Amino acid sequence: MSRVAQLRRDPRAGVAIAVLGGIAVALFPLFRPPLDGLTNDAILALAFVVMALGLNLVVGFAGLLDLGYVAFYAFGLMVTGWWASDFFSSVNDEKGIHVGTSDFVSSLPGIHLNLLLLIIGAIVICATAGILIGLPTLRLRGDYIAIVTLAFGEIISRVFANGDEVTIFGDNKLSNGRQSISPIDQINLPIFGEFDSATDLRPYYWAVLALVLVVLFVDFRLRDSRLGRAWIALREDEVAAASMGVPLVKTKLLSYAAGGAFGGISGAFLGPFFSSINANQFQFGFSIFILAMVILGGLGSVWGVVLGAVSLSFVNYWLIPDVLDGEFVRGKLDSLGLEFSFSEVTFGVFGFLLVLMMVLRPEGLLPERRRQIELTSGEGPLDDTKAAVFEARA
Amino acid sequence: MSVESGNGSVDSLLATEHVTKAFGGLVAVEDVSFHVKPRSIVSIIGPNGAGKTTFFNMLTGLYKPTLGRILFGGTDVTGTRPDIITSLGVARTFQNIRLFSSMTATENVMVGQHARMKAGLFGSILRPPSVRKEEIAVRDKAREMLAYVGLAENHFGQLASNLSYGDQRRVEIARALASDPALLLLDEPTAGMNPQESARLTEFMEQLREERALTILLIEHDMKVVMGVSERITVLDHGTKIAEGQPEEIRADDRVIEAYLGKREGGQQG
Amino acid sequence: MEAATVTSAPSRRRSEAVWEFISTYGLILLLLALPIRYGIQDLSDDGNLNRLGNNLVEGLSNGAVLALIALGYTLVYGIIELINFAHGEVFMLGSLASAALYATFGLTPATGAAGLVLGLAAILILAMMVSASLNVMIERVAYRPLRGAPKLAPLITAVGMSFILQNVGVLWIGASQKAVPDLLGSQKHLIEIWGVSITRGHVLAIAVTIPLVLLLTSFVARSRLGKAMRATAQDPEAARLMGINVDTTISLTFLLGGLMAGAAGLISALYQTSIWYFQGFSAGLYAFTAAVMGGIGNIRGAVLGGVIIGIIQGISDNRIGNDWTPAIVFVYLVIIMVFRPQGLIGEETREAG
Ligand SMILES: Nc1ncnc2c1ncn2[C@@H]1O[C@H](COP(=O)(O)OP(=O)(O)OP(=O)(O)O)[C@@H](O)[C@H]1O
Ligand SMILES: [Mg+2]
Repeated sequence: MSRVAQLRRDPRAGVAIAVLGGIAVALFPLFRPPLDGLTNDAILALAFVVMALGLNLVVGFAGLLDLGYVAFYAFGLMVTGWWASDFFSSVNDEKGIHVGTSDFVSSLPGIHLNLLLLIIGAIVICATAGILIGLPTLRLRGDYIAIVTLAFGEIISRVFANGDEVTIFGDNKLSNGRQSISPIDQINLPIFGEFDSATDLRPYYWAVLALVLVVLFVDFRLRDSRLGRAWIALREDEVAAASMGVPLVKTKLLSYAAGGAFGGISGAFLGPFFSSINANQFQFGFSIFILAMVILGGLGSVWGVVLGAVSLSFVNYWLIPDVLDGEFVRGKLDSLGLEFSFSEVTFGVFGFLLVLMMVLRPEGLLPERRRQIELTSGEGPLDDTKAAVFEARA
Repeated sequence: MSVESGNGSVDSLLATEHVTKAFGGLVAVEDVSFHVKPRSIVSIIGPNGAGKTTFFNMLTGLYKPTLGRILFGGTDVTGTRPDIITSLGVARTFQNIRLFSSMTATENVMVGQHARMKAGLFGSILRPPSVRKEEIAVRDKAREMLAYVGLAENHFGQLASNLSYGDQRRVEIARALASDPALLLLDEPTAGMNPQESARLTEFMEQLREERALTILLIEHDMKVVMGVSERITVLDHGTKIAEGQPEEIRADDRVIEAYLGKREGGQQG
Repeated sequence: MEAATVTSAPSRRRSEAVWEFISTYGLILLLLALPIRYGIQDLSDDGNLNRLGNNLVEGLSNGAVLALIALGYTLVYGIIELINFAHGEVFMLGSLASAALYATFGLTPATGAAGLVLGLAAILILAMMVSASLNVMIERVAYRPLRGAPKLAPLITAVGMSFILQNVGVLWIGASQKAVPDLLGSQKHLIEIWGVSITRGHVLAIAVTIPLVLLLTSFVARSRLGKAMRATAQDPEAARLMGINVDTTISLTFLLGGLMAGAAGLISALYQTSIWYFQGFSAGLYAFTAAVMGGIGNIRGAVLGGVIIGIIQGISDNRIGNDWTPAIVFVYLVIIMVFRPQGLIGEETREAG
C-alpha cells in the first residue's frame, strides 16, 4: 500500500487536511492585493455556493425539480435595490429612511437598511415567494413542476425587466426596468465599519465566507433532522412518505421556503457587492447555471454542491473569460484563422455538462451516499417511482 | 345515502359504511361495510383485482372513497389526509415493499415516527435540548423496533435497498410499528416468503397483538396464514363483499369457494 | 407525481362537478378575456372591430407556427412522457438552416414566382429533414441512454441539450438577431376582408400548416408505423411483446416532430424575416403551453392550443407590448398546468383529485 493510501486511512490526516484547507481558504486574500481578480472570483463563487445549497434543498433533498431559481436571485437583488439605494428617493420628504447605515449613507435620500436587515428582508420575501410558487405545484407531477417553476421564474424576471412601467405605493416604480439601480450601499457592519469595494475586496470575501459557514451549518442541521429525513422520504416515495405520517404539503412548502431563503441571502449580499443591479441579469440561464452546479457536484450532496458551485463559478468567471478567451489561447486560435470567443458559448458549456453528467455520472462528482444507489441502480427506484405514480393518482 | 351508524361502531376500532371507490368506469370497491373489533386480527381475502389494496388505500387516506364513510375509533376519517390518519393511529405496509431505498434501515424507521415528533423548521436548525433529546429517543426507538422485528443488528445501518427481501419486509413492519399505531394494516406480508418464514410471521402477528395491544387487518393470499391467524375473514370479489365470518364458515362458503378458491387454481398469485 | 391529498368528505360528488365546471369554463373565459377586453375597447374607440380582427389574423399565423412546434411536444410526450425541452431549438435550427439555404438556392426577393415556389418547396423539404434528423439524433444521444433512469434525468439532459443547440445557433449566425431577405414580401397586402388585411405571410403560414397537419394526422391514424406509435404510447411493454420495435417507434416519433418543427422554422424565417438563436426558447415554451392546453398527446388538441396561444400572443404583442407577452403567456401556462393539466378538450384519462 502506498504512503498516500495509508495517510488517507488515518482519520487524523483527514482532520489535519481539513484544518489546513480551512486556514488556506480563510487567509488566502491576505496574500493577494486588495483589489484582486482572484479574490473577486472567489467572492462570486462563495455567493453561488449559498445559492446552490439553497437549490439543493429543493432539488437534491426534496426531489422537486425547480427550474425557476432565478426568481430568488431576482428578489434578493431587488431587496437591495429597494432598500439600500436611493431608489425610493421621495420617501420621508426626500430625507430618506436610514437604519444602521454609515454617516455618509445616512445623508442620502431613499431607504437605506443595514445588510443584516436586508438579509432578513430577503429571507422573508424569498421564503414567501417560494411558498407562493410552490403552492400551485403541490399536486403536479415532477416534470410539470419543472415547467411551472420555470414559468414563474420567467414571469418574475419579466415583471422586473418591465418594472419601470409598473407603479406601486403611489407613483413609485417597481424597478428601473432594463436600466440599472445604482449605487447600492456598501456593506456596513457593526465593529467592522463600512466596506469599500473600490479599494479593498477582502472584507467582502470574509463576509461571504461567514455567510457560507452559517448556511452550511443550517444545511447540515436541516439534513440530519426530522425535516431533512421527511424531505428525502418525499423524494424517494411520496406515497410511502405520506403513509408514514409526513404531511406532503407542509414538507414541500418548507423546502421551497428554505431553498428560496438561501437564494435571498445570497442576493442580499451580491447587491452591495455588484453595487449596481439590473433586471437584465434575471435570465433563465441563471437558473440553469445554479442547477448545473448542483448536478455537477451531486444532487443532495452538500459537499458535492459546494464543489460544483465553486468549480462552475471559476469556469464562468475565470476559465472562460480569462484563460480560454485570454491572450494566449486567443492568439493560438487567431493564428489558426479561427475567430472564436468562448464567452459566447458559456451556456453551451453548462448544457454540455448537464448532459454529460446525467448520461455518464448522474450521481455527481461527490455523490451523496444515498443518491449513488438511487441513480445508478436502474431497477428498484424506477419501479418504485412508477408504482408511486400509479397509486398516487387518486 | 342513509347511513346507519351504531351497528357495532361503539365497540369497533374501525368501521366502514358502504365504502365505494370508482376509477372512472371501473368500480374497484363497491358498497363494503364492515367493522373490526379492537385487538382482533381480521383478514381480507379475495382473488387478484378484487379491490383489497384499493380498500386499504381508502382506509389510509391515499384514495378518498367515492361514496361511504370510514370511522376510526368512532371519528369520521373519510377523506382525511394520509399523514393525519397515521397520526391518529393507523399504520400500514405495502404489497410491493416501499421502503425509502437510499436511507438506512434505522432512518426508515425514524421516518415512521415523524407523526410522533415535534421538531419544526427552527427546532431542526437550532437544535435546542428538547430536539436533541427527541432525536436520541427516536433513534433509540428505531433500533428497538428493528430488534423487535428480528433484524440483525449489523444490518441497522445498511441502506434499505441493500437488504435481503425478508429483511426489507421486516424493516417495513418496524417502520409501521414505529408510529405507535392502534391498527396495523398488512398488505400481503408473506408474499415471496417460504413456509417457515410465513409461519414465523404468523406467530409474530399474534405476539404483536398480545404484547402491543394491536389490532391487525391483513390482506393475504396464503390460506394457511389466513386460516391460522384470523378471528374473522372478509371476502371481496369484484369489489363487493361476498362473505364474512369465522375461518370455518368461510372455508365452507360455496360462494367463496367458487369465486376465490376456484379462481386460484388458474395459477394466479399476488 | 400527484399528491395523494384529499379534501373533506361530504358532498364530494357535487364539489367535483362544480370544480370540473369551473375549471373548464373558467379557463375558456380566461382565454377569451383578452379578445373581449380589446374588442370592447375597439368598439368604443373606433366603432368597429378592425383592429382586433387584424390582431386575430396575425395571431392565427403565429398560431400556425406554434401548432407545428406543439405537435412535436405532444407526439413525444405522448409516447415517452418526456418534455423534449430542446424541441424549441430544433425549430430554431430549422429556421437558421432555411435562411442559409436561401443563398444556396440563389433565392432573392427578385426571384420570379416559379423559381420562388420551386426553391421554397425544396428548402421546405430540406429544412424539415435537417430538423428531423437533429431531433432523432438528440434522442439517440441524450434521451435513449437514460431510458429507465428516474424520470427527471432525461428532462435535465433535455434542458442541457437546449442550451447546447442555442450555442450552435450562436456559433452559426452570432448572438444578435439577424435579418433575412423578405423573399415573399410577407407584409404585402393581398386582400382586405371587413377591414382586416390579409398578407402573403398569413396565407403562407396557413397554407403550409394545414396540409402538414392533415398528412400527419392521417399518417398516425392509418399507417402501420402510426399504429405502432399509438400502441407504444398506450403501453410500451405490451407493444414490445406484440413485436413492435419500441426504439424505432420512438425514433420515428422524434422524426415526425422534427419534420413539423423544420417546417415551422421555414415559415418563421419567411414570415418574421429575421432569425435569432434565442427564437426557439419562447416559441418552444409557448408551443409546449399549447400542447398542454390541447391535452398533451392529442394531435388535434395541439393545433387548437397553438392557435389559441398564437392569438393571445398576437393581441398581447400589439396591444400590451412585446416585452410583456412572455409574462402573459407564462401566466396562462401556469394556470393551465395547475388547474387543467389534462387540457381543454382532453379526456380525463387518469383520476385527478
Ligand atoms: N389508481 C387506479 N386507477 C385505476 N384503476 C385502479 C387503480 N388502482 C386499482 N385499480 C383497479 O382496481 C381494481 C382493484 O385493484 P386492487 O389493487 O385493489 O386489487 P387487489 O385485490 O389488491 O389485487 P391483488 O391481489 O392483485 O393485489 C383492479 O382492477 C385495478 O386495476
Ligand atoms: Mg393488492
